[in-house]
Amino acid sequence: MALVAQFLLNFAKFGRSVSHHNNRSSLFFSCNYSNNNSCSWSKKNFVELTDEELIRQCEMGTFKASGPGGQHRNKRESAVRLKHIPTGIIAQAVEDRSQHKNRASALARLRTLLALKVRNNVNLDTYSPPPELLQILPPKSTIRSSDVGPQIGPNNPKFILGMQALLDLIFAVEGSVSEAAKLLGLSTGALSRLILSDDSLRMVVNELRTSKGIKPLK
Amino acid sequence: MKLSLTRACCRSYTFPIFRKPSSVLPRAIFHQSLSSSSSSSLKPKTPLFLRPPKHSATFSDLKKWHDWANTLAYEVGSSFADSDNGPDSSILCRELKWLLEDSLEDNSLIPHLGIENNPNSVKLRIALDELYGLWKERIEKRKPFQYLVGCEHWRDLVLCVEEGVFIPRPETELIVDLVNEVVRDNEQLRNGIWVDLGTGSGAIAVGIGRILGSKGKVIAVDLNPLAATVAAFNAHRYGLQDVIEIQQGSWFETLKGFEGKLSGVLSNPPYIPSDDICGLQSEVGKHEPILALDGGLDGMDDLLHLCNGAASMLKPGGFFTFETNGEKQCKFLVDYLENDCSGSFCNVSIVSDFAGIQRFVTGFRRAL
Repeated sequence: MALVAQFLLNFAKFGRSVSHHNNRSSLFFSCNYSNNNSCSWSKKNFVELTDEELIRQCEMGTFKASGPGGQHRNKRESAVRLKHIPTGIIAQAVEDRSQHKNRASALARLRTLLALKVRNNVNLDTYSPPPELLQILPPKSTIRSSDVGPQIGPNNPKFILGMQALLDLIFAVEGSVSEAAKLLGLSTGALSRLILSDDSLRMVVNELRTSKGIKPLK
Repeated sequence: MKLSLTRACCRSYTFPIFRKPSSVLPRAIFHQSLSSSSSSSLKPKTPLFLRPPKHSATFSDLKKWHDWANTLAYEVGSSFADSDNGPDSSILCRELKWLLEDSLEDNSLIPHLGIENNPNSVKLRIALDELYGLWKERIEKRKPFQYLVGCEHWRDLVLCVEEGVFIPRPETELIVDLVNEVVRDNEQLRNGIWVDLGTGSGAIAVGIGRILGSKGKVIAVDLNPLAATVAAFNAHRYGLQDVIEIQQGSWFETLKGFEGKLSGVLSNPPYIPSDDICGLQSEVGKHEPILALDGGLDGMDDLLHLCNGAASMLKPGGFFTFETNGEKQCKFLVDYLENDCSGSFCNVSIVSDFAGIQRFVTGFRRAL
């Protein structure tokens, strides 16, 4: 019952008053995953958490909760909104008829948003790409050994972990695709193509480049 | 005691097969405690989304209907919401979209409705004039959307419902999670006998039927013969005809012989106080079965009966969950279970629903 209880505890604490997180900004967390004292809410990268762990960090609200509910009501209020408390990121799902399914969609959406918006610091002097990033690189990358396995594309749920690590690197090099490409053993063109293969990835990279006065990738 | 699935007075119902043909004759087994000749003619209605697409209409005619239906929905504005907390235009428009999805054979064609004067035709599961009739009933008679389409999406299930059978509510979805938490680490409960009293469409029974162990069984009971038929249909549609036994009867009445043997007792019984029934939103008060809503003077008649029954029917360590009207009933029940049931229960607690309203009372039968 712990999971359910946690949901409701969070709900009771924070009610339904949620503020929308600003889409444009990225959140920086200077957490060292292996030795973490400053980020008390998580010892792990958020995106790596299991569904249950992630949901414990969220408050969940249905959109409308007026009146006594239960047998009294037939309004199909199945929409679900998850607010990730540590980051303030909100994910919601309304398209399905069942609350249960909307909860699952909102959680999947939250995971993607966390990967897109939460940045982890990268030390460029000692940089070596994590395995989840190597997995999304095209096979022609010179630092990608054959034991990494086949390339993972945007439709694979594991893609977002690699996407997050790629964004961490691109932010560390301030939007320079050529610099990031060098560190990944790819040509600038090949890395550009990878970035353009996923709409949300492309948007975040281009937003960063625009803010740095670099022209967006097309 | 072993649960026997064939009983003296069982009857079998044959349902159309919707998915792949099975080598086993589809049947659901009833234990009928009431002798009723009328119920033998009961047959659940096929929900819209499962009907064959034997009708057709041109896109432009369908668009005409859709525009007309949208206009009606917009004209409602907030008038239903203001009068009895009913749906407003935005909820009705969302329902209209779902009605369209269930009516069309191919949902990917919905964007084509935007094209003006499209002469191509589209296959429908319902005739166009019937769609006009349905939406009129929705707006003018306040017939619940779920009765128009004959189903309700509940958890990851799509359950058949029809007029005369209570529509399962999103709040009740949580009962399945509560049971899941309890059986996950308890093999004995996972493989025991559970009962869902007042099963209605069979929502709770089907939900937990899928999480119990290979030896686990559910007995789903409802007084209303139509509900029993619909619950059997839903159990069968999810391939649970060997896990869920449907019985027609009142609460524990058909469960003689199971005293002290049940692993779980679950129920969403009628809990609305009688005086509140006339003020319910029209979709509920005018269309859903009063039998499933009216809980007597303070709404507690059936809840108290269930508590007393659970004390004698649950085995030591057995689990119960009852849905209630809210905080007042929850607190009253907790006090009753702890102080007036001669120490039968332990770990009695209140669980809130997703809107933060204290909704469920849960607990365990004390070990002897």
